[in-house]
Amino acid sequence: MERAVDSPSGATAARPWRRACYQCDLLLTRALAPEGTKLLCPRCGAALHTHFPHSILYTAIYSFTGLLLFLPAATLPLLHFSFYVFDADNTLFNGVASLFGEGYIWLATLVLFCSVLAPLGKFLLLSFICWGCGWGKLARPVASALRWYQHLYKWGMLDVYLLGILVALVKMTDLGSISVEPGLYCFSAMMLMATATAISFDPEAVWSRLASAEGQRVAGTSGEPDL
Amino acid sequence: MSGATGLEHNVWTCLSCHFLLPAATRAPARCPRCGARVHPRIEASLMFTWALTLTGALLLIPANVLPVMTVVYLGAGEPNTIISGVMQLHQAGYWGIAIIVFVASVVVPLMKLVGLALLCLTVQWQLPIAPAQAMRIYRVVNAIGRWSLLDLFMISILVALVQMGEAAEVQAEPGSTAFATVVVVTMIASRCFDPRLLWDSYSAIAAKAAEGPA
Repeated sequence: MERAVDSPSGATAARPWRRACYQCDLLLTRALAPEGTKLLCPRCGAALHTHFPHSILYTAIYSFTGLLLFLPAATLPLLHFSFYVFDADNTLFNGVASLFGEGYIWLATLVLFCSVLAPLGKFLLLSFICWGCGWGKLARPVASALRWYQHLYKWGMLDVYLLGILVALVKMTDLGSISVEPGLYCFSAMMLMATATAISFDPEAVWSRLASAEGQRVAGTSGEPDL
Repeated sequence: MSGATGLEHNVWTCLSCHFLLPAATRAPARCPRCGARVHPRIEASLMFTWALTLTGALLLIPANVLPVMTVVYLGAGEPNTIISGVMQLHQAGYWGIAIIVFVASVVVPLMKLVGLALLCLTVQWQLPIAPAQAMRIYRVVNAIGRWSLLDLFMISILVALVQMGEAAEVQAEPGSTAFATVVVVTMIASRCFDPRLLWDSYSAIAAKAAEGPA
């Protein structure tokens, strides 16, 4: 019964606080927003919790779709450029490869990371989190996956890359004929999925599901002799 | 109502999962929920933010002076700096795209560096800037940073797309490396800055003002 007093939310009778704003440290007595609403910090206005209904299900769908879209987006050409007898395609990887070939290793690494690795990593981590949070045994890997997701969050720049494609498209129209290839549609759809996961994903839903999975596991094993 | 802060009530917030945990006796506590290291405020926040901001400011000079790419067209071509690339777009009549590129690669890095320096000074000298105002700066700096990479993505696309030797070719130039580093360094700087320090310094000013006349 000691666990109940020192509850995981940190709230006791003497300390009614359940959350502190991560941007201004104001203490709040409620931790979560009701379904379909946002909890804003009354002092600084930071969005503390956005309760998206069925967050885990939607995020799982979006991230899985994103993963599927990654295959054509990464392998099919995005743009095609033709100039008299010459022509060339642009895929996600060959821009990185030619920068690497010219010796701009740091630049190539950065472009690869922001346009391929980070978005892919985010989709993979989210798929793992959404699938794994129902299993009490996976509590620890899911927790670290969540932490990695937080680190990667800002570095997935599919939207910026899409705008870069647009600028390149306009810049090259005078030089030769440039055309949009099917890969670009997959890429745009993948970008939309990345944005959709950012909106639908609610870490608090994952934490509460993990807590209940853990609770079931503890309740299930408590009846058996501890070996 | 000034509002009770976590620091006053001996509770810390995990910045990774926003879990509220009792203050530990020594600074890096482990978050019991997600396992991240928890500090009451981001460790050495001002020092890192200053260092990275100054690095960014210094690197902004080569980023703008050195050419970022060369467009060779029918054997002739000259290196382009960021500004001259924008001018070319403008002269070609694409002023919409010119504005987008100008904002993303000239205005945004400058605004970020000025904003970060202003935030650091606010905390360091306890300037009487309303925290709501400072928070607006902080959020703008945080939100806009990634869009500066636009120019680099464009270069990487063009380098792959236009490889026709003497006829037409786009090459990256050293300025782009400096520019990429500016963007990365300022993105890390805005992550290092702890906005809670703004509120701490403001309440310190308020406390001083309350003591003063008494």
